[in-house]
Amino acid sequence: MANLMPKRRLENIGLGITGFCVALVALVVITLIFMVAQQGLTTFFVDGLNPIDFFFGQNWIPEQERYGALPMIVGSFAVTLLSTLFALPIAIGSAIFVVEVAPSFGRRVFQPFIELLVGIPSVVYGVLGLYVVNTFVKAIFGDAAPTGAGILSGSIVLAIMILPTITTLSMDALRAVPNQYREGSYALGCTRWQTVWHVVLKSALPSLMTAVILGMTRAFGETLAVQMVIGGVERSMPMGLLDPASTLTAALTAGLSNAVSGSVYYHALWSLGLILLVMSLVFIMIIHLIGRKGAKANG
Amino acid sequence: MSKFDLSRRQFIGALGATAAIAGLAACGNTGNTGTDTPSDSTEGTDTAALVGSISCSGATSFQPLVEKARDAFQDANPDVSVAISGGGSGQGLSQVAEGSVQIGRSDVFAEEKLEADQLEGLVDNQVCIVGMGPIVNAGVDVTDLTTDQLKGIFLGQITDWSEVGGTAGAIQVIQREAGSGTRATFEAAVLGGEVAPDSFRPVAEVDSSGTVVEQVAATAGSISYVAFNYMENDGIKALTVDGVEPTQENVESGDFMIWAYEHMYTREDEDESTAAVTKAFIEFMLSDDFAATVVEEGFIPMADMQVKKDADGNITAA
Repeated sequence: MANLMPKRRLENIGLGITGFCVALVALVVITLIFMVAQQGLTTFFVDGLNPIDFFFGQNWIPEQERYGALPMIVGSFAVTLLSTLFALPIAIGSAIFVVEVAPSFGRRVFQPFIELLVGIPSVVYGVLGLYVVNTFVKAIFGDAAPTGAGILSGSIVLAIMILPTITTLSMDALRAVPNQYREGSYALGCTRWQTVWHVVLKSALPSLMTAVILGMTRAFGETLAVQMVIGGVERSMPMGLLDPASTLTAALTAGLSNAVSGSVYYHALWSLGLILLVMSLVFIMIIHLIGRKGAKANG
Repeated sequence: MSKFDLSRRQFIGALGATAAIAGLAACGNTGNTGTDTPSDSTEGTDTAALVGSISCSGATSFQPLVEKARDAFQDANPDVSVAISGGGSGQGLSQVAEGSVQIGRSDVFAEEKLEADQLEGLVDNQVCIVGMGPIVNAGVDVTDLTTDQLKGIFLGQITDWSEVGGTAGAIQVIQREAGSGTRATFEAAVLGGEVAPDSFRPVAEVDSSGTVVEQVAATAGSISYVAFNYMENDGIKALTVDGVEPTQENVESGDFMIWAYEHMYTREDEDESTAAVTKAFIEFMLSDDFAATVVEEGFIPMADMQVKKDADGNITAA
């Protein structure tokens, strides 16, 4: 077929099709950003909400026309950081084991095993969280956590959800460390753990950071599972890890069905969406920065 | 009532037929008049003339009931299709106000959600009543609360069961999410316009009645509120309010105060192509034939209500 067509025309067709794909993606992204920004900024420019009251207001009570997003912002960041904190040691630990200690077990057994976790829909995590994690938290803390719902439960469920992301990316990061580094270290008389600690982890650091940030991005954006276990209390600031709270995504989904399009409440919900969008842009920028720095460090 | 409706439907049918005839007449054939009109006078078969598809979105609380009505209505009118989707009261109201659906379902009066200019041209069809009442965890040894006690609990002033005659233990308040129709109804009837202080935090705010039931059943000392049709569940217990049982009869008589209309909003200026179907469907929801299904699904038919409520919550004799 190809030799029936003039080479130049084939080139042009290829260029046209691939260029069209890029244009389409760019169009979707730009439209999306434009839509969210337009609706989200209406809150401040048309409805006249003070951005300072919005970002630092400690009460989200729509029926009183009070839209302070801080409880949800704090909720989102708390579950994201805590879940990363829970997941990170386990993820890096298992990555070290399957890459440095038992590579064939890692490739043949562990990797498919952990990839299975990625495929499980988040509603399943949510249901399991509701019945297992919340029940456990309630049993352990008693009256301090009457329903078991709260930031702690949300973080535990999220930690399980982001574990595969961080683990697989960490494994890739460790595998990418050139073998000469390890051999050099052994030649100097280092033991395996000295090599792992001082050589492998250190040179894989930028990629490991990327793994962590990607995990955090996933945690930040997760909606359904968190919504089911965190308690959904938006009206005021959570005061502890056992306090029920809400996240930006959970508040957005719970609110949209009740908000009338065009109302201040509706626009305020879009503003939450805008915060989410900006945050994911920040996460992506951090990843790019790390990538550039890593490239520089590795020369 | 239904007799009158039938004749109105017939009237619309007749209008449609006349329009069709007028169209034919334009082609120079006037002889058909006599053969078309008999359908108007045939009792009960007039709905067979209904053709069209409408869509209905909004509140999920009585969506199962509307779906049952749809099934029966479509069986009786094979050329009609009614598409039903959820989305919540807010979406239902804004979509009917924009004209993107023919019927918008809502748990609350449109006045509570929409701006004055959006209300223009909206018709409020109240299709049934939903009664709601407080429920507690089965382990709570209180069976009755006064309205004042309920108010104290949901404002965060009463925090221990011993203050309302039970065994000492913290009261765990479980709320519906902000903007929920159930919550709006309950708070309007119980709180009387007062708002809980900022410091008051419920132990959970959940976004469906099913979840409320689960959470109350699982949480010792908890209290929340649900519609009557959710009260028959294990692990929870419905309370009487001021000594009045949460039953259909007590709502109808006006003795039980926590209830709301289920609304199906339509537009006055709806397009002619669908107006007849929309009207017939809402009449079907209100018909005596459908009342049994309304009761079966846990709602209260409009017919026997002895009191009525306006958008501001004032209750008067019907």
